[in-house]
Amino acid sequence: MSGGYAPGTAHLHAQRNWTILALIAAQRLLLGEPLPPGLRAAIDANCVQCHTGRSAKAGLDLGALPFDLGERSTRDRWIRIHDRIENREMPPKGITLAPAARTSMLQQLGSALHEADFADAAAHGRGPIRRLNRNEYEQNLRDILHLPDLDIRDMLPEDREAYHFNKVSETLDMSRVQLAAYLDAAEAALRQAIAATPEPPPVTKFRTSGIRLFPGLRSTGGRESMFFIQGDKGINVESERAKPMTPEQETDPTIEMGLFRSPGWPYGAFPRGFAAPHAGHYVVRFHARAVLQHPGFTLTPAQRPVPMTFRSRRPTNHDIAEDVKSTGGILEIGPEPRVYQTTVLLNAGQTVEYGLLGLPVPQVDAYPEKPGSYRYPPFPPEGQPGVAFQWLEIEGPVAPAAWPPPSHHVLFDDLGVSPAPAEPKREAARLIRRFVRLAARGPVPDEAVRTFEKLVDARLDRHEPFTEAMLAGYQAFLCSDLFLYLHEPRDHFAIASRLSHFLTDSRPDAELLDAARAGRLRDAAVLRSQADRLIASAGFDRFAKSFTASWLNLRNLRRDDPDKRLYPEYQLDEYLVDSMERETLSFFTAMVRDNLPVRNLVEADFVYANERLARHYGLPAIDGAAIRRVTLPPGSPLGGLLTQGAILKVTANGTSTSPVLRGAWIMDRILGQPPPPPPPGVPAVEPDIRGAKTIRDLLAMHTKSATCASCHATFDPVGLALENFDVAGRWRTHYRGLEEGERISGIDHTGHDFAYTIAGAVDSSGTLADGRHFSGVRELKAIFAANPRQLARNLLQQLTVYSTGTPVRFSDRAEIEKILDTCSKHGYRTRDLLHALIRSRIFLGGY
Amino acid sequence: MSRGAPHISTDSSHLPRRTLLRGAGVTLALPLLECMTPVFARAAGVPEPPVRMLIIANNLGVLPAYFFPKTAGRDYELSPYLSILKDLRNEFTVFTGLSHPGVTGGHSTDNCFLTAARGAFKSGFRNSISLDQFAAEKLGQVTRFPTLNLGVNIDKGNRSLSWTRDGVLLPAEDSAPKLYERMFVQGDPESVARQLHKLESRASILDTLLDETNRFRRGLAGEDKSRLDQYVTSVREVEQRLQTARAWEMRPKPAAPQPAPADIQDKKLFFEKFDLMLATAQLAFESDSTRIVTLMADAFFTPVFKLNEKSTTTESYHGLTHHGKAEGKVSQLQEVDRHQMMLLGKVIQNLAGKKESGRRLLDQTMVLYGSNMGDANIHDNTNLPIVLAGGGFKHGQHVMRKRDNNDPLSNLFVTMLQRMGVETEAFASSTGRVAGLEMV
Repeated sequence: MSGGYAPGTAHLHAQRNWTILALIAAQRLLLGEPLPPGLRAAIDANCVQCHTGRSAKAGLDLGALPFDLGERSTRDRWIRIHDRIENREMPPKGITLAPAARTSMLQQLGSALHEADFADAAAHGRGPIRRLNRNEYEQNLRDILHLPDLDIRDMLPEDREAYHFNKVSETLDMSRVQLAAYLDAAEAALRQAIAATPEPPPVTKFRTSGIRLFPGLRSTGGRESMFFIQGDKGINVESERAKPMTPEQETDPTIEMGLFRSPGWPYGAFPRGFAAPHAGHYVVRFHARAVLQHPGFTLTPAQRPVPMTFRSRRPTNHDIAEDVKSTGGILEIGPEPRVYQTTVLLNAGQTVEYGLLGLPVPQVDAYPEKPGSYRYPPFPPEGQPGVAFQWLEIEGPVAPAAWPPPSHHVLFDDLGVSPAPAEPKREAARLIRRFVRLAARGPVPDEAVRTFEKLVDARLDRHEPFTEAMLAGYQAFLCSDLFLYLHEPRDHFAIASRLSHFLTDSRPDAELLDAARAGRLRDAAVLRSQADRLIASAGFDRFAKSFTASWLNLRNLRRDDPDKRLYPEYQLDEYLVDSMERETLSFFTAMVRDNLPVRNLVEADFVYANERLARHYGLPAIDGAAIRRVTLPPGSPLGGLLTQGAILKVTANGTSTSPVLRGAWIMDRILGQPPPPPPPGVPAVEPDIRGAKTIRDLLAMHTKSATCASCHATFDPVGLALENFDVAGRWRTHYRGLEEGERISGIDHTGHDFAYTIAGAVDSSGTLADGRHFSGVRELKAIFAANPRQLARNLLQQLTVYSTGTPVRFSDRAEIEKILDTCSKHGYRTRDLLHALIRSRIFLGGY
Repeated sequence: MSRGAPHISTDSSHLPRRTLLRGAGVTLALPLLECMTPVFARAAGVPEPPVRMLIIANNLGVLPAYFFPKTAGRDYELSPYLSILKDLRNEFTVFTGLSHPGVTGGHSTDNCFLTAARGAFKSGFRNSISLDQFAAEKLGQVTRFPTLNLGVNIDKGNRSLSWTRDGVLLPAEDSAPKLYERMFVQGDPESVARQLHKLESRASILDTLLDETNRFRRGLAGEDKSRLDQYVTSVREVEQRLQTARAWEMRPKPAAPQPAPADIQDKKLFFEKFDLMLATAQLAFESDSTRIVTLMADAFFTPVFKLNEKSTTTESYHGLTHHGKAEGKVSQLQEVDRHQMMLLGKVIQNLAGKKESGRRLLDQTMVLYGSNMGDANIHDNTNLPIVLAGGGFKHGQHVMRKRDNNDPLSNLFVTMLQRMGVETEAFASSTGRVAGLEMV
């Protein structure tokens, strides 16, 4: 069961081409140490018949392969040999190897490999030093400088990935581009930390009402999208073009602005006359009520709350090429008129845009099949939900609790704004030491601090302003190897850093550093309580986000849009995609925080959902946008990762579903058994899929050819079980098509015609490679859930890469099994696994 | 008005070019594009107009059946795709039978098109220096940017044509307005002064970093040390580049020949983005901002995209290339490939239409179009589709090498390097110059 130790790859065929791998590596090297005699005999008896001489199969000449396991590349080759024997891929079908002989071979080869790999790790460390990735760098600086909203991540190049993760030592390289970006980012962060003015920016208050709540008198998307209201009746709606308002109307506080659409291009829905004078937090208060619009622009109170958020953006019409971000969280606007309040984060010059969630998005089509044509989509029978606003206030930037702010104190202690101390060099020496102490993740030798001090001194000698001179010193430290690299845990401080970057994507906090200073981080109880504390902290959300972004590929959740001809209902439904993402994050967080058995990854009697997802999944209706735990009705196919919308969307091929992709993905990421490499010596064949009509036909062709079948049998059926879920994870019994079958047509929520057909019925039954049959997803889940140890093993492998920057090594395998043993009693609970990994040699070092 | 930096003339970009050169003590008649406004790029002066190269790679290639001609030599019959370039027949050479030996493993070779590094699919793989960086190292910094590395829909963290000597990825730029700003937008004197001050300040910071690292590095061994060596190399390289950056900062940027382009962010607009990036590359040449441009169209990372004014593709670009001969997919791919051939034709045409010191810009510019993928449907990395246009070679031919025993593509790279003026006999896996390509 070691298939999972192979690195995950972008594509299955591409990077597992053993034939060529072996050909390249087939160099005749001098024999190193001799093979243990028993192993030599077993190999002679079972392997050399094919694997010898110039014409050795797959270029693997076992007569010439040295047994010098101290040499990394040779060891890697023997590890592959070991794994292929273990996975019963070798010897190939037709050659029988008695179980006892196999066990004995594996035992001998395995222990030699373990010893050699263990010795290497003990001598050189389990992995090399690792550079901070850009998430970690930003978060470190946020924490050090007390700037929770610091935004410098995008100044740094994207980090390379390996084994699915952007936390791997071997791919977190350094280059001139990378270093120059660190210098820029550090400088930008430090300048933001400095208070440049003697007083905080002045607080201003903006208030508007009535027709000034919107930039114009109408919105794109038809008259139904936005109109002004007086006494539950639309005004100035007689014609498609709005008339100018009278001066009385302009200032009438009883007029409301009614909005009945969600953001989409082009869209410019923000109050008239406001732009944030300074960057910062602003308090937004507004008076609103949820309503239903009926034909003739009449209103009645809504039956359910309408979720809403704000978006920060520049107050320019139609131009949303710049960064538009949701801010202020989600508010539920109810039918009773009342005042709502939230806090938003704005850059200077930005305003707040109304972001109602889940409403129609009348959309000018970017691909002009029918340029500019759209209508407001038909109302639901009970009326079209929307929100009526009466007035709105924006006040800010929210005054800081103290001035200069804490960020300034980090740099200049109590010297105040524009510091110019009488004895600059003495102050500089004190401040640089103070800063290094605050920013470093462990003790820094004084020799190193003096390097930075010298830099500041040289600047002071050249009569640079004190602030600028200090800044250079700070910038140098933040770009030095001392700051940029994480180390193998040779001391307690490195353990603290490994733990905090694992569970919070950031530096150790004061309490964790204290524990390191006291040398208590190899104490199992202390480690456990520190880890528990971090898991309970707000920083843990960053772990959940960053880990699932890679492991479950959630980072690509928005990469592809479903084919809009087949799935018109998913167009521009950002609320749905957002909800899916929050569902999977909440689920994963609960797995850890609630210490749920690993079985729940594939089989659970609950989901996390909000009103949008409840509708999407066909669950009993619930109100509100907040994600919460919902117990499933008995017999529901839902529960666990496999049936979550986010997972089903990232595993779909963008536009439509493919059991091949889904199956391979699940075997790789959830089961930790990536599809095995194609058998050596067989050239790649061009699959001819002409004539394959349905997905079943296609898969049948995979089984007809022995070449295809050997791989595809292990994952195609897994994907088949999920055929009942469409491209966005909604249950279906039939496929959709464009030609044959019953025609369904109408106007979608972007205001365009659609027509698709109900095509063939879905059959989600299948047979796994080992012969076990399932009738659908529930039975498949039960099969997976019956082997929690493999689910746990995979999770541990993923966590190992993420937390240590080095994938599971051969000598780690026994340690992983030990962890599994200790966690088996309670069904491999997730947090138990985390704790056990943290106190293992893999995490703590200590060979 | 220029109180920050009195030595910098704010309106120098309006001065006649010769005046400036005379002012700088240079009297040689320097080559200048006829459309171009003054630049200081060649203050040292070269008697010949410079040679340039533009390398365009699409990491999913093209459908080989429609690309490769069936007959060889000068009288070869154009293939369906190449007939799109039929008016330019004598401006390019098409090659059959080139690939990088040992560079296999399907999509993992994306990063090796210009490096020829073997074994990208193996664990522990490390890339090697790319053609553009190799050339820039040898030629030194004679333009504002030694190279420009562009991308279309590119997965910036994971894919690039451009790699350092240490095998570290150099990220591509995918925003045309940003490139435009770097090339043309002149800061006011104060911002120039600020920039100069920043560069100066940075130099001493880098010294400090080097001091500190050398202190720390003494205690390291093995992989740790090699990771840190990367850091030291980076510090040194940033430092070296500061020198030239300072010199360039003091020289005015060339006047922009046209207004700044609008950015296109939507990944679906693959061709529009591709076209815009090619136009940006041409601007870079015309203004002599650089002489080496690489451009990766990351087809692998391109989701469902706009096929033409009427329709979008039925699936992602990658999905289409695994067509399994399905008609619906093959026909879409043909349209995609044809469109790219048209874009290539447009670049060649544009370069042919511009003059520099009486010569066609095309004859001074090598345009290489190719892919690391010979046949994406089956992940074949041999028989790569390769077209070389311009550069002053005798074109109008199909150089047909063995399909079952390819010549190294690096041989072509050696020829190109030599044409650039780089004195080298070898690059990566080369065994000599490419066969069948002569200068006019």
